[in-house]
Amino acid sequence: MATSALAQETVFALRRKIAKIEGRLAEHLGEVEEDATGEALLRRHGLVRRERGFLATGAERFDAALGGGLPEAALTEVHGPATRDAAAAAGFALAVMSVSLGPVAAPMLWIGTSEVFREAGFPYAPGMLSLYNIDTAELMVAQTPKLADALWIAEEAARLKGFSAVLLEIRGNPSHLDLATTRRLHFRAREAGRPVFLLRQAARPEPTAAPVRLVVSSAPSGLRRTFSGPLAGSIGPPGFTIAISKNRTSPPTQFTLEWNPHEHSFKERRAENPVPMVPVSQHGTHIAQKTGTVLAFRPEELAAGHQPPGEELPVHRRLG
Amino acid sequence: MYPSIEIIEAEPAADLRLLESLADWCDRYTPLVALDGVDGLFLDISGCAHLFGGEKALLDDLLARLFQQGFDARAGLASTAGAAWAAARFSSGSGILPEGQEKRFMEPLPLSALRLDPGVRAGLESVGLRSVGSIMAASRAPLVRRFGAVLLVRLDQALGRIEEAISPRLPVASLSVERHFAEPIVLIEDIERLVLMLSAGLKRDLERRGEGARTLELCLFRVDGAVSRVAVSASMPIREPRLIGKLFHERLAALETSIEVGYGFDLVRLSAFSTTLFETEQGDLTGETASNDEDIALFADRVRARLGRNTLLKPMLVESHLPERAASLLPFDEMRPKRVEPSRSDRKNLPASCNSFPERPLRLFIRPEPIHVPMTEVPEGAPPHFHWRRALHRVARAEGPERIAPEWWRQENNAETRDYFRVEDSNGHRYWLYREGLYGVPGSNPPRWYMQGFSA
Repeated sequence: MATSALAQETVFALRRKIAKIEGRLAEHLGEVEEDATGEALLRRHGLVRRERGFLATGAERFDAALGGGLPEAALTEVHGPATRDAAAAAGFALAVMSVSLGPVAAPMLWIGTSEVFREAGFPYAPGMLSLYNIDTAELMVAQTPKLADALWIAEEAARLKGFSAVLLEIRGNPSHLDLATTRRLHFRAREAGRPVFLLRQAARPEPTAAPVRLVVSSAPSGLRRTFSGPLAGSIGPPGFTIAISKNRTSPPTQFTLEWNPHEHSFKERRAENPVPMVPVSQHGTHIAQKTGTVLAFRPEELAAGHQPPGEELPVHRRLG
Repeated sequence: MYPSIEIIEAEPAADLRLLESLADWCDRYTPLVALDGVDGLFLDISGCAHLFGGEKALLDDLLARLFQQGFDARAGLASTAGAAWAAARFSSGSGILPEGQEKRFMEPLPLSALRLDPGVRAGLESVGLRSVGSIMAASRAPLVRRFGAVLLVRLDQALGRIEEAISPRLPVASLSVERHFAEPIVLIEDIERLVLMLSAGLKRDLERRGEGARTLELCLFRVDGAVSRVAVSASMPIREPRLIGKLFHERLAALETSIEVGYGFDLVRLSAFSTTLFETEQGDLTGETASNDEDIALFADRVRARLGRNTLLKPMLVESHLPERAASLLPFDEMRPKRVEPSRSDRKNLPASCNSFPERPLRLFIRPEPIHVPMTEVPEGAPPHFHWRRALHRVARAEGPERIAPEWWRQENNAETRDYFRVEDSNGHRYWLYREGLYGVPGSNPPRWYMQGFSA
């Protein structure tokens, strides 16, 4: 009896100490324990508790692999392997937000350093409107010359409930951005209940506190669909190749999703049905045969012998 | 002759700077301080003297402090600016002129006490008018006819017959709260704490007016006369000391290196420059209001206070065909009340054709980057491959051209027509290219190709 009371006292003393370290009241420590058991449950059954929201993309297999979607109250890392993929990484995050935003639209904050925006281009409001139906009133952009300032803005913004999402874009692997920084961002996002996307251009994977890390790159887009089937040579709904490189529910997998800007939805890429929706006309004139195209060569290019290889240009071969 | 004499060239610009800094310092007595020529200052102390224990005490304090700073100053105090000017220069006593004594004081003084042009003064002296009293005695009409209206205006101003307004150097704050210290304060933390105390005083006044402050300035008067001014602005009218304190915390953190504390500050003043109507909102029982605008406004103000006005930007759509002009990023200055718009779900239900915007990339280069196109279809077609940033990109698919003509009503006619192409390379990256100029136009430069943006 006496020993158990003593043990309990020790436990309480330790609890107070932990509370002091974590900077909160000892009575609130219980919540953390509950959280920990929740996580344990999650691992045991491969299910995720439903209390915490998810940003579902609408592509079932992808959402299932993440256990319901991207976590809403968390930091999510979205990597673009090359600078050219910066648009794909940002576009994926915006598309997810666009799908899951409720009727009350709060602004999003897109933070980047000047270098990021110079290398990969500025966020372009008409493009966001046409691709993701994100209104200009729902976007704010923060640009700083220094990375430390951008991180400060992100940390301050992540704790606000006023922003529907915070996108922080960082290029390469700077030493400022370490595990502790991502932990701070993650905890603030968790407390505010709002997603924070860490968009990383041309960075190699590092240890991160984010529960989910995706590697997003552009995939060839689908074809525009017409009544007579897909239109050859057209650039239709954009494709994303998404590799889930870190998550808690499934082994690393890769998906190819297609974003449909008109229907505002993701779907997983499947083989296109080649059968036309309406029969091609039987008696009338058919679509004109393709003719060879005329190519202009610059004289200096010819002289230098920089002619591209023949297989790249079937037209060229035909002419020759 | 005098080998030990030290010769320093006159520097009127530096003198003016010194006078301006003195004027700043005199702000501690009154907000209305004006420069007078190259060697004088006007202070309008109406309603300020009682704060320092009366006119004489104010004057003594001013002269003592200037003496401590190493200035030899003379001061005059009178009911009119002209009489005070004369009192500072010609009075033998304390320089304080009791009200109603202007005429008796001015009468025996020479003409130079009237702030006249040298030409006018020489003219008056040549006809035997050598003192102010003689001008007062002379009849006015011939004087005006011969010497101009300025002479009598100056006289009337000195005697208080017409008003003379001094034009203050700095805008006058609508509300100010200040605190004097016997012992100067040195630490930035103390200043921040002081801001909270001062803004509590400011809040009372703002509440009485039903207003909130949009622009606030903190004046730090250093013991040795230097004045530092720290200004912050708010997107929404504020009056909570906590919020004001937060803004100044960020601003002071950003300015920490540029504010020289020296021997410390003995007067700190918080002024509200522009105030607007403060709209109060009913919170619910948990003390939270429905909108998060306040959060964002405070966040924006803090970012602006710390990192400058051009950090937080807001895109605005502009009616222009040129892509780089169609959206401009403006500094986020003001939290505008939300317009009543169709809700998001309504907009989503609209068919895509209602969306009048053509397809545009997600990211745009504001300065288009030149790309190298070795060959292309003529007269108009997308290039089969191109070099951009030292890499070769092979075009798998292309759509276009979308022709965008230059805005002839804005610029000279030398801008060329642009043909835009959406292209996709073999890896699936989508670019937005354009060709400036046309092929096959005799006498024109060959067309150039640019990268304008890229998309997801």
